[in-house]
Parts: sequence; structure tokens; C-alpha cells
Amino acid sequence: MAMAMAANPVDLAIVAFGILVMAMGAYGLTYSRNLVRQLLSVEVAFNGLLMMLLPLLSVNASSATYFGVVVISVVSAEIIVVVAILVSYYRASRSMSSDNLEEVPE
Amino acid sequence: MISWTAVWAIVIGLASLVAAYYVIRSKDFVYASSALAILGSMVAAELAILGLGIVSAFLVIVYVGAAVMFIIITVSLLGLRGDERRDSGVGVLVALLTAALWFSVALSAGIYGLYVAPHPVGMTAAVGGLLSRYALVVALIVIAQAATLVEAISVARKGGGNGGK
Repeated sequence: MAMAMAANPVDLAIVAFGILVMAMGAYGLTYSRNLVRQLLSVEVAFNGLLMMLLPLLSVNASSATYFGVVVISVVSAEIIVVVAILVSYYRASRSMSSDNLEEVPE
Repeated sequence: MISWTAVWAIVIGLASLVAAYYVIRSKDFVYASSALAILGSMVAAELAILGLGIVSAFLVIVYVGAAVMFIIITVSLLGLRGDERRDSGVGVLVALLTAALWFSVALSAGIYGLYVAPHPVGMTAAVGGLLSRYALVVALIVIAQAATLVEAISVARKGGGNGGK
């Protein structure tokens, strides 16, 4: 705790907001049964994680920059794939509910 | 004495919380996706305050400008509605547990003691560092991006059947 107080209050506030945003993403993920809402909630959690981890990863000189570029690239690709799967699922079942995922026609 | 940087960081943090709440609670998915774009912009602003300018620009250009816009356009074209079944109690419990876990891990592990101010990196140095020290990672990311793009197009076309005709 004493070590935590040694850091800049601005950075600690940003990290705290990141944790709260990530908690809201976790809330949305379990709160809804809609696949689009769950995708959006995962993205909210990702934003919170980025806000929380990037300040901490700057222990080495420029590692936060490299880490951020790589992670954002991977997440953007992940969004494209997940949205394509959701479009395919919606065309097959005319529903976006995660309750009847196993009942999708071939 | 609180600096203006601290004030801006807190104001933008509060705005990001409001945007996150709107993403989760909005009944219209187009508005929810737009709020996600605003949230991404707020996170980029926080990163810019921290001195991570390149990551901030990359987040706005690649994540908000491409990926989130892709979600918005897809949701708009499909005409999806947000009238889903909701379990509010479980969600609150999971959110509280998540926040408590991360706060306890962050504070008890003392990882904030390792914090140093982000080192400003120019574009030339960043690209040079990526290509020299992380060339294999960059190559893997390029291959993975191309593969996911082909896979996404394939999945979308396969699932449609005659839907596009």
C-alpha cells in the first residue's frame, strides 16, 4: 500500500477508472443474453484493461508502446472475426440470443 | 494543489464510465456501438495524458476508426434490436467481484511501486524498435490479420446461403 502511494495520483486515478470500466464490462457480459451486447461488453472490458495495464507496462522504456500496438491489432482482428460469426449465426437462426446456441440449423 | 492534467484525467475517466454504462444499458445497439466508439476515444485521451501518444493515435485509427465502425455498420445493416433477457443480480455480483479482485491484486502486489512515467517514443523510434526487436511478432501479426480477414469473409459468405441473392 505504501508503494502504491509513491506513484503519481493522476496515474493511479486512471488505473482505478480502468478497473471500474472493466468491472462494468464484466457486468454487461453476465447481465445480458444477447450476443451483440456480450460482444460490446467484452470490448468495454478490453478498453478498461488497456487503461489499467498500459501505465503499468511502461516499467521498461518503450514496452507500453509495443504492447499497445500489438494488442490493439489483435483485438481489431478478433472483432472482425466475431462479427462475421454473429452475422452468420443471425442468418441461420434469425436470433441473437445466446440461450439457443446449440439449436442452430446446419 | 491539483494540476489541470489531473482534472482532465478525472473528467475523462468519469466520461469513460458514463460511456461504458451507456454501452451496456442502451436499448438500441447502434447507439450502444456509438458509445463504444466514444469510450475508445476517451481511453485514447487518457493514454495521451499518460504520454503514450503513438498508442493513443493507433487506438483511434485502428480500433475506433476501423473495428468499432465495422460493428456499427454491421448492426445498422442487420437492424438488430436490444430487447434481450437480462439477469441483473448476477451481473452486479460479477462486476463487484471483478473490481474487488483487480483492486486487491493491484494494491497487495505492490505493482504500482514499479510504475515510472511512460518514456516518450517518436514514430521513427517506435517503428525501428518494432522492426528490429519484434520483427517476428510483427510478421506473425500481419499473417494473423490476413488469415482472420479471409476467415471472416469466408464465414460471412458461408452462413448466408442464398441470403446475398
